[in-house]
Amino acid sequence: MNESGISSALKEAGLEVLTCMQCGTCTGSCPSGRYTSLNTRRIVRSARTGKNILQDENLWMCTTCYTCQERCPRDIKIADTILTIRTLAVHEGFMLPAHRKVSQLVLESGHAVPINDDVKEKRKKLQMEAIPETVHKYPDALKDVQTLLQSCEFDKLTADK
Amino acid sequence: MHIGIYICHCGSNIAGYLDVKSVCTFARDLPDVVVSKNIIYACGDQGQDEIKQDIEDHKLDRIVIAACSPLLHEITFSRAAQAAGLNPYMVEIVNIREQCSWVHKDSYDYATQKAKDLIAMGVARVRNLTPLTVESVPVNKDVLVIGGGITGIQCALNLADSGVKVHLVEKDSSIGGWMARLNEVFPTNDCSMCVLAPKMTEVADHPYITLHTYSTINKIKGHIGDFQVSVVHKPRYVDESKCKGCIELCESVCPIQVPDEVDRGLSLHKAIYLPMSQAVPHIAVIDPVHCVGCKLCEKACEPEAINFDQKEDIVEFNVGAVIVATGYKIFDAARKPEYGYGSIKNVITSIELEQMLNASGPTYGQVVRPYDGHPAKRIAFIQCVGSRDELVGNPYCSRICCMAAIKNAGLIKDRNPQANVSIHYIDIRAGGEDYEEYYIRNQKKGVEFIRGRVASVKQVDGEAVITYEDTLVADIVDETVDLVVLSVGLEPNSEVNDIISDLKLTRRPDKFIRPAHPKMRPVDTHTRGVFVAGCASGPKEIQVSIAQGMAASARAMGLLHSGEIQKDIMSIKVIEDLCRGCGLCEEVCSYGRITVKDGKAVVDDLTCGGCGLCAAACPQGALQPRHSTDDQILAQIKAATSDIKEMPLIIGFLCQWCSYAAADLAGSQGISYPTNIRIIKVRCTGRVNPSFVMEALKRGADGVLVAGCRPDDCHYLNGRIKAGQRIDILKELMSNKGIEPQRVRIISIAASEGTKFASEITQFVDDLIEIGPIGSELE
Repeated sequence: MNESGISSALKEAGLEVLTCMQCGTCTGSCPSGRYTSLNTRRIVRSARTGKNILQDENLWMCTTCYTCQERCPRDIKIADTILTIRTLAVHEGFMLPAHRKVSQLVLESGHAVPINDDVKEKRKKLQMEAIPETVHKYPDALKDVQTLLQSCEFDKLTADK
Repeated sequence: MHIGIYICHCGSNIAGYLDVKSVCTFARDLPDVVVSKNIIYACGDQGQDEIKQDIEDHKLDRIVIAACSPLLHEITFSRAAQAAGLNPYMVEIVNIREQCSWVHKDSYDYATQKAKDLIAMGVARVRNLTPLTVESVPVNKDVLVIGGGITGIQCALNLADSGVKVHLVEKDSSIGGWMARLNEVFPTNDCSMCVLAPKMTEVADHPYITLHTYSTINKIKGHIGDFQVSVVHKPRYVDESKCKGCIELCESVCPIQVPDEVDRGLSLHKAIYLPMSQAVPHIAVIDPVHCVGCKLCEKACEPEAINFDQKEDIVEFNVGAVIVATGYKIFDAARKPEYGYGSIKNVITSIELEQMLNASGPTYGQVVRPYDGHPAKRIAFIQCVGSRDELVGNPYCSRICCMAAIKNAGLIKDRNPQANVSIHYIDIRAGGEDYEEYYIRNQKKGVEFIRGRVASVKQVDGEAVITYEDTLVADIVDETVDLVVLSVGLEPNSEVNDIISDLKLTRRPDKFIRPAHPKMRPVDTHTRGVFVAGCASGPKEIQVSIAQGMAASARAMGLLHSGEIQKDIMSIKVIEDLCRGCGLCEEVCSYGRITVKDGKAVVDDLTCGGCGLCAAACPQGALQPRHSTDDQILAQIKAATSDIKEMPLIIGFLCQWCSYAAADLAGSQGISYPTNIRIIKVRCTGRVNPSFVMEALKRGADGVLVAGCRPDDCHYLNGRIKAGQRIDILKELMSNKGIEPQRVRIISIAASEGTKFASEITQFVDDLIEIGPIGSELE
């Protein structure tokens, strides 16, 4: 990924970062940044200068709560920008192991958090069916989901490296 | 018709790069030409004398001067012609220096040919000219000033001191405006009232000022020189002629306490009150919303000034000019819910702080926590609340808040050096005289400057907690403070909408009133005879507002002092026989200067700026700019295409402000470009009727260039934008007819972009060579 890759991807997605004035409203508003090393202001700065940040682990610390985006006085789509850069990172093979695992779970079961015996028990106690009305219950639908994911190469993107 | 033509050599500036002799011979054979001469320096006294002599000797009734740009010497030659008894508008300047000899230094023959064509076009135009007289009309010399803040006060005083009669209208019961509510003012730390009050008193006492307080504009009709104004005097329920302003007696018996509307009830006043102790006029007023009508004041007032039967009163008068000094309103901080204004008690606005700091204010100068009234020791200023914020629709900087916060932070430190005061900023803007020094002085007092816009203010156990990133060290901080001061921005005053529409003023996207030109005409508006000053045209400091007040009053005086004003020579003439009253012109005029009455268009030609947008829209040709008629322009097109000697040939319509000036600049910088263009100067690209373009192509031009200002710089609001729309439609039509639409091009060039002009022409010529001669696409 060359430097302009991020810029052109953001441009294509209609995301303007050039007008950022580095005021820090996003960082001050970021619930994740209080506990992690995520600094949204620096990510926008890097996106603006074209610095290659695809390997930056902080990209994955955003919970996409969108508070930054809601408060930005220059109306910069900060969370959307982070998501767009993440997409690029994944295409370049950068992804945290935990996210890979979750993605693989989606591929296997159609759920990021598949049902387990504990949950089944709880559901029964609440007088619900043990298995919910999702792909868990309909194996054919799961196959459809898998076909969809494979057709957009989700399986290859998220495979172990 | 007797036409005289003079081909100026400009030393070797023209004669060095084209064959002036052969141009002169060529010109002699043009229709109605009786004199054609070479002249070394036409602009010199000798040259002018020769022209004047010829006008007399040969009974010349129109002259063509082929020389430098008309932007330089048109006035010189018009005056010379007038001195010789010729109508000054019977002169045509042909630009063969900036737009010919200087830009085609390597193409002697082609430059010579171009000069001949340009002169033929000049002769064609001059043959279609008619003598014009600039009409003058008498004007009323009085001036209306709307708004009694510091700007309006300054306007009124300047005008009145110069002997102009002024009507000053103020909506509040006292003049003084926002400045009267401030404590001290930067960068001098003058007590605001101490410097303002003398001016207020001067207004009240001035024999030339009629003061209308507690009054609003009901209606303004008319135009420059004769505005008919009607003003509503709201009832004070206090007889102005009887009230002595003593206030003690009436106020002390009044049982009603009213919270002050500006400081959120930090201070209270009675239902009968003086808005401030230095109020001008010094007359009490009864707040009709809160008064319960107990009439105790009536019994208490010794001069018997209370009058509950007072009614609204309408006053009418006429003026020649209007100055709009209507100021601003404060941003409502509750629109930023993350800062907790209104729900967290220890969050206040900068205006409330001004009241607190005032020694005679509600806290007698103490800075306290509204939550419990204890002194505030840790104070945080949050900057840019409602400014530089697209989420609330205010992308602009309010300009005064940085300095005001620095001032107030410094004042707090002066009174209590132990106080911990921080200013949370995005950028500190201290760009005025002595401002940076003021900033440094307050830094030395220990005011903390933290770079980072505060993200939120939360209430924790009754305390205000601010959360921000200190962006210079990338630390995220939660901090409990005693007092949060929101530095609220300035917004356009919404109460003036009717005034703006009555006066046909225009607004910028930020909704402040738009001056005629943001740089060169800062206090003029798009309506002749109406000026704008102070914060009505955007946030400004007091000193700038005062300067603008002085400027606007000088402009108004300059306009009216002779007692008469002249119409614009380009103003639109309606040819009534042709007009069918379709109303298209009315719709198209950006200024609302045209109305259809009894089936005919009527132009307010005293205020018409002559852009020609309507003329280009009229399907009947019934509207004609007096000095740029369809016939004159069509004659130029015809002359340029009657004997085509260059391929490709481009006819260029250049707006006189930006593009024409850019073409001149290319000349003075000696940037060469192909000789293929023949330029016709128009007031605005909005003047270019699509039929001109079609006529040029029909007669054999290979391309047409329409060049104007950048849309934002257009001297006629949206002339360039509308021209663009017209050209787009025309291109579509051309395409439908099988004519290559790329033959028509509309561009924007700023006056400073000579290089761009040259490269645009070069590119266009290349493109036209590629496309081929006109008509080739139809074969």
